[in-house]
Amino acid sequence: MKDTTSSEEGSMANVTGKKQTTDTTPTEGTVPDTTPTDTAPPDTAPADATPPEKVSVDKTPAGRTSTDPAAGGTPASKGGDAPPTARRRARSAPELAALLVVLVALIAFFWLKSPYFMTKDNIVNVLTAIAVTGIIAIPGTMLLIAGQVDLSVGSGAAFCGVMMATVSQNHALILGVLVAVGLGILIGLVNGLLVTVLRVNALIATLGMLAVLRGLTEVRAHGATVTLANFSGLGTARPFLNIPVPGLLLLGIAVLAALVMRYTVFGRSLYAAGSNPVAARLVGVRGGKMIVVAFVLSGVGVALSGLILDSQLSAASPNAATGLELSVVTAIVLGGASLAGGRGTIQGTIVGLLIIGVLNNGLTLLNVSSFYQQVASGALLIIAVSFDQLRLRFSKL
Amino acid sequence: MTRTPAASGRPHPSQTPGAGAGETAGAAVATAGPAAFTLRARGIVKSFGGTEVLHGIDVDILGGRVLALLGENGAGKSTFVRVVAGAHAPDAGTLGFTGPDGAEESVTALDPLGARRRGIRMIFQELSDAPDLTVAENIGLGHWPRRRGFVDWRALRRRARDVLDSMGVDLDLDAPVGTLRIGERQIVEIARALSDDATCLVLDEPTAALSAEEVERLFRFVRRLRAQGVAIVYITHRLDEVAAIADDVVVLRDGAVSAAGPAAEFHRSELVTAMVGRDIGVVRRPDAADTEPGAAVLEFRAAGSPPAYENVDLTVRAGEIVCLYGKVGSGTADVADTVFGRRRPAAGSVHVFGREPAKEPRQAIDQGVGYLAADRQREGALITRSIGENLAAPSWPRLSRFGAIGAAREQEAFERWSSTLDIKAVGGADQLLATLSGGNQQKVLLARWLERGSKLLVLVEPTRGVDVGARADIYTALRAMAAQGAAVLVATSDYEEVVQLADRAVVMIRGRVTRELQADQITTEALTDAAGG
Repeated sequence: MKDTTSSEEGSMANVTGKKQTTDTTPTEGTVPDTTPTDTAPPDTAPADATPPEKVSVDKTPAGRTSTDPAAGGTPASKGGDAPPTARRRARSAPELAALLVVLVALIAFFWLKSPYFMTKDNIVNVLTAIAVTGIIAIPGTMLLIAGQVDLSVGSGAAFCGVMMATVSQNHALILGVLVAVGLGILIGLVNGLLVTVLRVNALIATLGMLAVLRGLTEVRAHGATVTLANFSGLGTARPFLNIPVPGLLLLGIAVLAALVMRYTVFGRSLYAAGSNPVAARLVGVRGGKMIVVAFVLSGVGVALSGLILDSQLSAASPNAATGLELSVVTAIVLGGASLAGGRGTIQGTIVGLLIIGVLNNGLTLLNVSSFYQQVASGALLIIAVSFDQLRLRFSKL
Repeated sequence: MTRTPAASGRPHPSQTPGAGAGETAGAAVATAGPAAFTLRARGIVKSFGGTEVLHGIDVDILGGRVLALLGENGAGKSTFVRVVAGAHAPDAGTLGFTGPDGAEESVTALDPLGARRRGIRMIFQELSDAPDLTVAENIGLGHWPRRRGFVDWRALRRRARDVLDSMGVDLDLDAPVGTLRIGERQIVEIARALSDDATCLVLDEPTAALSAEEVERLFRFVRRLRAQGVAIVYITHRLDEVAAIADDVVVLRDGAVSAAGPAAEFHRSELVTAMVGRDIGVVRRPDAADTEPGAAVLEFRAAGSPPAYENVDLTVRAGEIVCLYGKVGSGTADVADTVFGRRRPAAGSVHVFGREPAKEPRQAIDQGVGYLAADRQREGALITRSIGENLAAPSWPRLSRFGAIGAAREQEAFERWSSTLDIKAVGGADQLLATLSGGNQQKVLLARWLERGSKLLVLVEPTRGVDVGARADIYTALRAMAAQGAAVLVATSDYEEVVQLADRAVVMIRGRVTRELQADQITTEALTDAAGG
């Protein structure tokens, strides 16, 4: 991952080492196009949004006019006769479409192989299974778009879960929940400040945090599972359409996040910081601050996932969510976010999550051993990252 | 559009030589060295994703001659040389080689290995050396001599010394390349190609980052190589270099050859016309501004920020364009960076709008300063994002409401400036910035500050890598902004830019201001003289 945007020197480095040298040729990129086309409500126009005076330019001294036929043949017009919307679709559709094709193919395959696969109960199972991963992967997508990554999520979830359970043994349930969320925010804040202020590489900072948190979890739980009573509502209640709460939470968070990434200065700043940290700083984007906020959001997602795990099991295990970071990163990269930053969408991550969820569920139904499932998960991550690299290379040519 | 090289673009004898630095003296030196290398490219066609970018190109590359390959950005120069270097396979056409023994061979495509085997080497614009290795190691890079499986350091040094001697250069073989100046690093790259028996050397805009002295030194090697029978393909934007170095010239426009023939037969203005399809390339002073400059917006008083610059006095007033001219590394960019909060003055005083200079770019933007960095790709472009976002980014705080912003706002911002600057983007604000040509990208980055309403523009090398047409558009826009009261400071190493743009010029050498030229004193001669040749 890249270093933070708060310094030019620091931000020049990135893990792939590609970005600085790749973008010298303008190209037709195979980039997931996330540019919104929808219009903002007209009534939101602020009074101070008046544009600066338009500069009038007299073009005659240069001996040309904009209707000069020669001007029409400049490089910018290469391959650009299609109307804007068609262009946009042409560029963004293949990628998400390809992912959806993979998803549909997987579903069709397992449907044929297992009569149980397409039952209502099993569909709910899949949704529940991806909810914990997803609630972490959504803020994780924001981070990767900004060129950062959080590997401490799995042990963070276990830590928050165990803290909640142990606090609740002697105090009110709500206090345990507050402690867990507070700790999640604290973890995110520490990660964010390490990355932006001390400029520690995000991979390393959060890898260290992963070990620290797993150790602290074991210490707190004395290496044993902590039981937890009266807290099954969050994980198992089905208030709407028979969908469990975690699935609904994931849906709500995803919609919210997608809107934020599209329609807010915060979202755009994350894209800008990931796309080119130096340039972002030179246009006044507060990249560092935004990255800290994204890490904090990741911490909140981690705490929420920890609580859901507690609730689903009515217990907190210090070994919970081991290796969760693997599925999180796989889903995000599979969904089209680039390890080089600046690219990715929430929608893509959701499709990535569904692919992982369907694959795991289907393999379980087909009685494939969990050891092989682990092999499949790792292979999927490698495939996803390979596609990311190929994509970068083709957009460079 | 395919024409035979010799037939097209014949000069009109009646035409007078164009103004500017272009003299025809250099081209007459064409020595007929042994034609060891002959490549005749015929009917080269290449498409990317359904868009044909080369429509049948005929070019002859001959040993012992320097071929200048001209064209605006996106004309197909890079694609063509990549075909020659084996990086792209053409869709149609042939590459005919004649070996030193007269053996004819015709191929439809080369792979990189085949191109290497035939002695074709490319020197890219971006340095591709290993900064931590020494000069000798870099020259031997990729073909280090070995003895019993270990690197033969003595042979490595000897070979590096031989090559540098043959080039007439004296460099410390043990200096890490990262400690050298850009011009010297480029020499090391050329030395690497030569030590590997290059018979055809492709130089992609080699002088973009070089000082006048380094350019002269480069030209000396090129002439020496030509005398040794090496074929040289020289890609450039700069027409004065064509007159200085080229034997033959091929001009590409929109993927086709628009002019070709011996360099001596072309006038500068004809080449410009062939490049852009219209005549705008003559370097001439703008008409004197009829408005008097206003109050001082930017003031340097004995300001210093060692080691970049010292004791600099500089004033920029509202409504005027001041050019800070100096070679790369002379401190002009550092002075500009100080105004935008990227560098702190250590001595003297600096005032921007009568206040202390900003401590970071965001503060400078709030003060009303706009800034373009020299390296557009690294420090300017948000390359994965749309034109609209790139244009609106500094104005997001103003365009948003409670942190929310729609694409419609950015669309409006784009429409406000796209016609003013003549930004050519068929997809409108939604189009990705990366899909624009260099010139149009730079226009988008300039429009950022128009949208922001900046009152002081600080531009570093604003037209580097920008084609001639877009350059004229940018100059026109800057003049219009100055006429409406904006102050403009341009740090540049391009004297033609100073001549075309400046109301006043301040010349710097090695971090010190050496001369200030008023409007009527600004000529290419005065500038090159003041900057030490």
